[in-house]
Amino acid sequence: MTWLVEDRLKPYAARRAEPYLTDAIKTQVAEKYFPRYPRKQAALLPLFHRLRQEYGYIPEQAIDETADFLGIARAEVQDAVSFYEEFRLTPSGEYVISVCRSISCELCGSRAVLERIRHVFGVDPGETTADHKITVLEVECLGACEQAPCALVNEDLHGHLEPDNFVRKLQALSAARDDQGRAAAPTGRTHI
Amino acid sequence: MALVAPILLKRIPAEPAQRRLYRWADYTATGGYEGLQKACAMPPGEVIKLVVDSGLRGRGGAGFPCGTKWTFLPKDIHPRYLAVNFDESEPGTFKDRYLVEHDPHALLEGIAIAAYANRITTSYIYIRGEYHRQAGILEEAVAEAYAYGIFGRKYPGTDIVHNCYVHRGAGAYICGEETGLLESLEGKRGWPRNKPPFPAVAGAFAKPTIINNVETLACLPHIVLHGSAWFKSMGTPSSAGPKLFGLSGHVNQPGVYEEALGVKMSTLIEKYAGGVKGGKYKAAIPGGVSMGVLGTDQYHAELDFDIGKKYNVLGLGTAGVIVMNDQTDLVLALRNIVRFFAHESCGQCTPCREGTAWMHKMLNRIVDGFGRPRDFDLLMEIALSMGAMPGTTICGLADGANWAVRTFLQKFPEEFKARLKCGQVRGVELTATA
Repeated sequence: MTWLVEDRLKPYAARRAEPYLTDAIKTQVAEKYFPRYPRKQAALLPLFHRLRQEYGYIPEQAIDETADFLGIARAEVQDAVSFYEEFRLTPSGEYVISVCRSISCELCGSRAVLERIRHVFGVDPGETTADHKITVLEVECLGACEQAPCALVNEDLHGHLEPDNFVRKLQALSAARDDQGRAAAPTGRTHI
Repeated sequence: MALVAPILLKRIPAEPAQRRLYRWADYTATGGYEGLQKACAMPPGEVIKLVVDSGLRGRGGAGFPCGTKWTFLPKDIHPRYLAVNFDESEPGTFKDRYLVEHDPHALLEGIAIAAYANRITTSYIYIRGEYHRQAGILEEAVAEAYAYGIFGRKYPGTDIVHNCYVHRGAGAYICGEETGLLESLEGKRGWPRNKPPFPAVAGAFAKPTIINNVETLACLPHIVLHGSAWFKSMGTPSSAGPKLFGLSGHVNQPGVYEEALGVKMSTLIEKYAGGVKGGKYKAAIPGGVSMGVLGTDQYHAELDFDIGKKYNVLGLGTAGVIVMNDQTDLVLALRNIVRFFAHESCGQCTPCREGTAWMHKMLNRIVDGFGRPRDFDLLMEIALSMGAMPGTTICGLADGANWAVRTFLQKFPEEFKARLKCGQVRGVELTATA
């Protein structure tokens, strides 16, 4: 999470006529999640997970639409969504590489892994390669310290990383043709 | 007394190749849900009494007696909720993930027992966002449990239906704090709440709520089946039962190991984790980074809930032991830990938001070779001023930063002071062997 308000100077995002919260998503969330909680607002995290899986990030317009859908103020949605690291508000590459930097991983050489990735792909943590294939992030503990150093590639955990091998794996991913776009990314996306 | 055979890990073999996921059929074939069956034949009050008698203490970090927590629920106020804390985000902690990814029904049986005893309306399993695969495993297991009537049924003699849902977090350490978790469950940012009111009185959706850790709940079927005396026969008088210890860092075989509470750290490292890797033992974190550090002379520390007073650390925490060998640069290690707190501070209380960031900046400066001799006392002063115990913050996150910094400085003063002299070499790598 972050308590810094970033991108404050960013111009207001362009609108599109077609809603991000499609009727299908709305129905799905309303049927599955509204009965689970006494208040509709509690469906906010599940809804954003759904949007994240659909679009890879949370578009700004979706925040307005969510406020209408859940019957809460836009500020309340913005307040919540800006708190959670997994809900990125800008588009990222096809593969998001989250390298753990916490103590167990650093003790076992996570810095070397990250340095190798930076060197090979020419991006710093938080940046995306020019071909929009790879976004590199540095994250705190992933809860897999016995497999240190470890990283998430989208939603898949990769452990016992060895810099050269891992970079080769990433290069293979980024070279693979992907005509179907994001939704067809060959990683296990959990649809909940 | 030491452990004779694994209890919580009885379905997870030590040999990695033999480990697999236990679904409904495998679980029930190996004695699963017998504890629930036995519990349901008892009056709910008896189950609570049994758990109180067993001396089961919370496995999530604070070590608060589980049964006592249950007795705080006000009578006859419904709905009431159980929030399962599976937001395992403390660096060095991975025991709950390991348990659930192999044996998810062990958790669900524990939930069903706790729900039965306390007449819970809805149980929410709050799982951290990064556990994508594990969330899928849990969802499947919950669906199986619904299909076989573990959830979605009325308690006998009442109109209360018990439901159980998986609720996913989205990447925030603070949501592991119990009231932060509740806020996040309600769809808000995970800012911890002031207490009182305590969650048992007004928790999730302002209703009575119990919050229990995954491992705590997984102990319940065994307590119900074998009794409180059996449970107390393991561990020490004040810390009963088996415990999952997660070993990571500089050990040859990092992993989750089960032992009775009170086991010596040296035993865990040598007998289970294959010894210290890359050098001799220098320091270890007993249970997640917020607990502080054990010094070189505390290698044989007995790991139980009383460890705090005996060895000058905050407590046992989550029992995620992080071992550091003698090649480790402890200034860099502390910087890593403080950066974690600075990054994960939710920003609600000024001493924590500003204090952790100050300490991180100071440690950066020290690592860069620009430390000043007075920085030692300054670091200590900032650290000691922050936390719920000194009374300057709402939750315990800042206490974690406080204890990490103070114990590193107290137990390794020479290593820090040497770096605060003029003309220091820049620290580059955390370990020479990494």
